[in-house]
Amino acid sequence: MKLAKLTERFYALVAPDIPNEWDVEEVLEPFIDESDHICEAALSHIPMIWPVSNSLCFDFLRLLPETLKQLSLEQIPRWISITLDHYETNGLRSAQRFMTDDIPNYLAQLGGSGGLSFDSIEKKLLPYIRGIARKDLQICYSRQIYTDTTSIYLPEKLSFFSESSDNFLYYKLILTFQWGFIHCGIFTVEPQLSENQVPSEFLQLRHYLNGFDNPALARDIYHVLESLRVRIFLEQEFPGLLRASAKQIFPCLKQANSNHPLAGIQHAVIADKKDILTTLSHLLTEKEAEPYIYGKATANNSVALTARLHKILEPHHTNYLPFERFSFQGHFRLNAVAAARTAAKQKLGEQLIDLMTSHLLSLSREKLLEIYKKDEKKNMAEGTAESDVTMIMDSELVRTADQEKAAPLLVTINNQEITLPQELADFSKKFFDEFGQTPARFLSAAVGKAGQKMLETASPEPPEESFTVNRDVIVYDEWDYRRQGFRKNWCSLHCKELSPVHSSFIKNTLEKYHGLSLRLRHQFEMLRSQERFVRRQREGDDIDFDSLVESLSDSHAGIPPSDRLFIRLKRDSRDIAVLFLVDMSNSTAGWVNNALKESLVLMAEAMEVLGDRYGIYGFSGMRRSRCEFFHIKHLTEPFGAAVRQRIGSIAPGEYTRMGPAIRHSIEILKDIDAKVRLLITLSDGKPEDYDAYKGEYAIEDTRHALLEARIADIHPFCITIDHHAKEYMKHMHGPANYIFIDDVRKLPLRMPEIYRTLTC
Amino acid sequence: MGTIKQRLEEHLITKEPYYLASGNEMEIALSAYKNKLPLLLKGPTGCGKTRFMQYLAWKLQRPLITVSCHDDLSTSDLVGRYLIRSGEAVWTDGPLTLAVRAGAICYLDEIVEARKDTTVVIHPLADDRRELPVEKLGELLSAPQEFMISVSYNPGYQSVLKDLKPSTRQRFVAISFDYPEPERETEIVIREGGVDTELAYSLVKLAGMTRSLKDSGLAEGASTRLLIQTGQLVQDGIDIHAACRAALLEPLSDDPEMLAALQEMVSSIF
Repeated sequence: MKLAKLTERFYALVAPDIPNEWDVEEVLEPFIDESDHICEAALSHIPMIWPVSNSLCFDFLRLLPETLKQLSLEQIPRWISITLDHYETNGLRSAQRFMTDDIPNYLAQLGGSGGLSFDSIEKKLLPYIRGIARKDLQICYSRQIYTDTTSIYLPEKLSFFSESSDNFLYYKLILTFQWGFIHCGIFTVEPQLSENQVPSEFLQLRHYLNGFDNPALARDIYHVLESLRVRIFLEQEFPGLLRASAKQIFPCLKQANSNHPLAGIQHAVIADKKDILTTLSHLLTEKEAEPYIYGKATANNSVALTARLHKILEPHHTNYLPFERFSFQGHFRLNAVAAARTAAKQKLGEQLIDLMTSHLLSLSREKLLEIYKKDEKKNMAEGTAESDVTMIMDSELVRTADQEKAAPLLVTINNQEITLPQELADFSKKFFDEFGQTPARFLSAAVGKAGQKMLETASPEPPEESFTVNRDVIVYDEWDYRRQGFRKNWCSLHCKELSPVHSSFIKNTLEKYHGLSLRLRHQFEMLRSQERFVRRQREGDDIDFDSLVESLSDSHAGIPPSDRLFIRLKRDSRDIAVLFLVDMSNSTAGWVNNALKESLVLMAEAMEVLGDRYGIYGFSGMRRSRCEFFHIKHLTEPFGAAVRQRIGSIAPGEYTRMGPAIRHSIEILKDIDAKVRLLITLSDGKPEDYDAYKGEYAIEDTRHALLEARIADIHPFCITIDHHAKEYMKHMHGPANYIFIDDVRKLPLRMPEIYRTLTC
Repeated sequence: MGTIKQRLEEHLITKEPYYLASGNEMEIALSAYKNKLPLLLKGPTGCGKTRFMQYLAWKLQRPLITVSCHDDLSTSDLVGRYLIRSGEAVWTDGPLTLAVRAGAICYLDEIVEARKDTTVVIHPLADDRRELPVEKLGELLSAPQEFMISVSYNPGYQSVLKDLKPSTRQRFVAISFDYPEPERETEIVIREGGVDTELAYSLVKLAGMTRSLKDSGLAEGASTRLLIQTGQLVQDGIDIHAACRAALLEPLSDDPEMLAALQEMVSSIF
């Protein structure tokens, strides 16, 4: 194709943009000698790439002739698609690198042997590692392999081996090995610090290792010794994995720096067990090596050996070069561990502040005045600075044998003794156990926060004070656990309609979950009616032999015989009415709200097949004077366009005052005549409102409202996505009456499943 | 009378069943028996509730009459009915009546599976009246001192249709069961599954891992019973991987991805 024609076609494709003619001609010139077929193919991709990135489009044209020597024309669209993925996730450089360098890898991928992405095996390995760790370890992608004790960082893709199965095994080894570091406590050891070292807040180990003349060498010694310890531990606990690794992985691992002084120990990490002693003999005595080989070593052994080996090796390695580890050992990042621990401490601390603030606000005014030393305003406002909080944990008190399990906590604020509620005491204990210090600093912050809140609430605020009972709203009592009684006519509930919104949300959701939706419909169809033979019927399809014999026997015995002698196939109709109560608080903004809506759409579609009566309502609001209850679908209302639109219009509102919403739901369900009445609450967190409806008060009110439901023969059940849910859910709902979903994206999949389990 | 005696003898446990106590459950049960109180055992499936009852019955030297409840269980199935034998109507006691007459222990396993109208029949037996009305005979049987009624259920089932009525549950002394501590569980698997310590330890470790996935894809973790069954397969010469797959993993889940994850645990451990 001639250059002029190519240029003209190019400008037509990128219009209205007018790129520099010189640039255009430069990239199109190589195509003059190509066939029309190739030119057309090249041009056909321009409308796809140009709007994404002009530079990328020029690069594509520039590289295409060369690429076509390795890829066929049919492989080009997929190659472009991956390039654009790179551009969108990692930017222009990454896309350019893929186009220029990664073709062999891409070809290997096409051939099915180009490495393995973690995404494709996540569903296998995530439950695997969480099962092993017995906690919710997170997996994050990173170029470097390491752990910060709360997450394991690993590459998004592995291509160490040509076979996917080997890459899979390597992923498994990495995960298990990194977990091994956490489990064996390599980061939590507390070495004796020298006099001039200031103890670290968390990581004494970091300070200890940094105290050496050559910290890099000390870190390497410690890490490699601990790697050996973990390897022996894994050999004992997971022999299958180590056996497979020894066969498939270890022989392929090459030691980059075999002259390094630590190479011997490093080699022992993957050596045969029988060879370990010989391998270690260059540096360790038999007595030192034996605890490692027999799995008896602790992190303290490695600490002691680090000091000894550093003393021997350091004078010879003034220009020390860190050595390369096997990649499954990962990097030894104590800074990341410290950061993770700080974050965990902060998070726990913030939860403590919230709990303590709520607790303080729930105290009597006299007690508060004592705490704030009567000079109310000044001390409240300056609570943080002024208050003197001391806390004595149980381990600091003298324990007797029978006090072993008790956790007496003494907290004094400005010399006023405060009794902590159980949840707060448990949290403080957890904090102490985890971080070895009392959370007095956070409690002190809570005193300040509570003081400020009191000042805020004391200032005149029209809605709360001028609240009058409106004729159009429904008034509900609220349970006050402190006086073990109801606050009469305390909350006013405004019933509102959600205005329907025309959107493609429902259509998109049904398209997205098309397969799941069909499967659910089928599963729910199976639930629709249960067929069973009912014996002892007056009429039926067959004779009930047992009844007949019994009747004859009765007759012989002189007892009037029964006339119920038939068996009938009975279809048990499901007499279930269910009300879905959706949390529409502000915290559901984003993913949560979307997942809630998607779940409702899928549920509603499936429920239509099942035929159970169901209603959907939402709740939100602010303060007791404005609790809002939104109608989305009444129990008897058909699932029509208006309901669909109302589901689409569910949006985050304000706060989560659960009590009135549950009480109103009870009122709705009370009037429904059904054998089983269910109230399913979908929430993302604790009950909480702007005013003092928080912490224990809110939990106790909600708990009481749920109790009222049970008294009214309504079975309440809660589906929650709160990460701290386990702490209070059991108390609020009772065991087996709630379910916790760790990943909000799973909600649409899990909700129908939960409903099925609940009602079958 | 001869038949009753013969029937009862079948239910008498003569050989001491293996039971490893994990707390004070035996003292509570014995005290309940002494005070003529009914017993409610709660706990996940396969954690040793039935074995506990067998041990209790052996210890008390009373016959144990077990009824596995199901939704077709009728009152007549429990109390008894007339049957024709040689042209004559003969009354045959149901398991509950038999237990009351003979002062045996009647154990209603998985009581929540029975319909609520059926379970009401045990109400007068489970309070201080300790009586069983047999309507067709026009009799009101009073339970002797030796009689005990015991029921069990798994509170982990989240079905609203499978729950005990408060009026039923509030008659019982309840004992909660859970899977034993790892050391105890290992001991049980060695003893019952006939495997060596190392294999038993690994099986218990595997069970612990599956239990931590409860509510994260698994309805329940592996029970002690499953571990014992796996051990028995291994003892019979089945390869450990195949035995785990057949006796431990497949009964836990139908989800292929979850099974694959569990399989990875097995291949790591063994």
